[in-house]
Amino acid sequence: MTFTTAARLSAAGAAAMAAALLATHPVHAAVHHAALVIQHSSGSLIARCVAFAEEQITGLQLVDRSGVQYEAQTFGSVGSAICQLDREPSTVPSGCFGSGPYWQYFHRQGGGWQTSAFGASSSVLRDGDMDGWRYAVGPNLAPGNVAFASVCGPPSPAATATATHVAQAPNRASALPVATATPPTSLEAQAPSASPQANAVLTSTGPPREPPKPAAMGPWLAFGGMAILLLALGAINLRRRGP
Amino acid sequence: MIRHPLAWGAWTAAALAAAFIDRNPYLQALLLLVVINVFVPYRGGRRAGTWKFALALALVPILFSAALSRFGEHVLFTLPAIPIIGGRWTLDAVAFGASTGLALLLTVAVFGILQTTVRSADVVAILPRPLYRAGTTVALALAFAPKTLAAFQSIREARQLRGQRTGWRSTPALLLPLLLTTLERALQYGESLDARGFGSGRRSRYRPLRWTVPDLIVVIASLTAIVAIAVLPAVPYNPYLELTPSVPYPDRLLAVALLAVPAFVASLSRVDHAPHHA
Repeated sequence: MTFTTAARLSAAGAAAMAAALLATHPVHAAVHHAALVIQHSSGSLIARCVAFAEEQITGLQLVDRSGVQYEAQTFGSVGSAICQLDREPSTVPSGCFGSGPYWQYFHRQGGGWQTSAFGASSSVLRDGDMDGWRYAVGPNLAPGNVAFASVCGPPSPAATATATHVAQAPNRASALPVATATPPTSLEAQAPSASPQANAVLTSTGPPREPPKPAAMGPWLAFGGMAILLLALGAINLRRRGP
Repeated sequence: MIRHPLAWGAWTAAALAAAFIDRNPYLQALLLLVVINVFVPYRGGRRAGTWKFALALALVPILFSAALSRFGEHVLFTLPAIPIIGGRWTLDAVAFGASTGLALLLTVAVFGILQTTVRSADVVAILPRPLYRAGTTVALALAFAPKTLAAFQSIREARQLRGQRTGWRSTPALLLPLLLTTLERALQYGESLDARGFGSGRRSRYRPLRWTVPDLIVVIASLTAIVAIAVLPAVPYNPYLELTPSVPYPDRLLAVALLAVPAFVASLSRVDHAPHHA
């Protein structure tokens, strides 16, 4: 598949570039981590940890950098939707969603999953955040409970990105707890995944963070000047024609 | 002063494009200032009649958004678990409602200006020949409703002056004079159309409407503004993502400010107190 090959190549390239950057600027990189949990309709779970250098990334970037195969469709200014994740469904339905199950999107908040208010291209992840996807039909079917620490390890600055694959027995899928504060699922078996086992992908980082720009005065001056001009024009017209 | 209906049509299209596309509060505030500026010289002694309606349209979305939306991070207060309105009331939702309400207010205000400035006789005058008869009929029919309403009010006032009751029980006593007045006006319309030779051969023109330089300036400015608003990248405003709006770039501000050209033209023209816009 050319897409995954290209993704792997570009991710490897990005990883190499990031590694070079990290090697030359060892102090600069405050590496952040976000976790991604994907649950198939069969019940099998995939968990990935993604390291990034920016202050925040979007949910779509998280999926993109995790190396998991995906197909997204853009809906203009509304944003993008995930149509296919890790080869499920096997073909992308027309109109992205189809009529049956679809990829539902959740954020980890506290000890549970919460339905995302935004699409993947608008949601924001910072260091220590976690996103969950589940292929299901019907409301509030959250992925199984996975703690951030079990995906990305305990929060320590020296932690390198790790990949963890979690599997649930398929027949246990219906008994999954739904967004409750139950203890995390134990990580037992390796799940076969249709996505490439990318070790390099997980260290991919974005471009280094730029220093914040000083606030530009130009737009403010333009706005203030135009407002004053309009007020003066209104005053002239009021004077000429009487109130 | 701008009089040509097509110039006002171009201005309305540009102002509506700005009102619909720009959701940035700074641009909306500038557009509101522009609209007020254009209204002032062209109001012609009329008072703004629809401002209460427009204000209600602007306030209702704020209430709805604040009461029904539970998203956002800036919590104002939390209500107990009452159905529908219980839960967190957020500043983000209020800002979203205010942004939507301002867009509605601007839309109503732009149409209010179009209604104030364009005379139906001018619109009929520039209609192409195949549409002339239908246009005249529609214009007469549209003018009939406000005239009937005015007749109704004057009949009621006359009854009040005579000391008669004005409740809903007086409706039959009101309807008969109203019917007679309306029939009389219809006959008058027919006679005046006849006297002007309506529908007999070539269409005559009395004081034809000409394009003036200010009209052309307004059309050019409006078209430029439409293109700029549609082509330049819009400055989105989503209070749920970022409550503080960003200041738009000067080019987009300039595109909105171009819409103030009718007010500018009016400030340059000679003051004319003759009531030919009656």
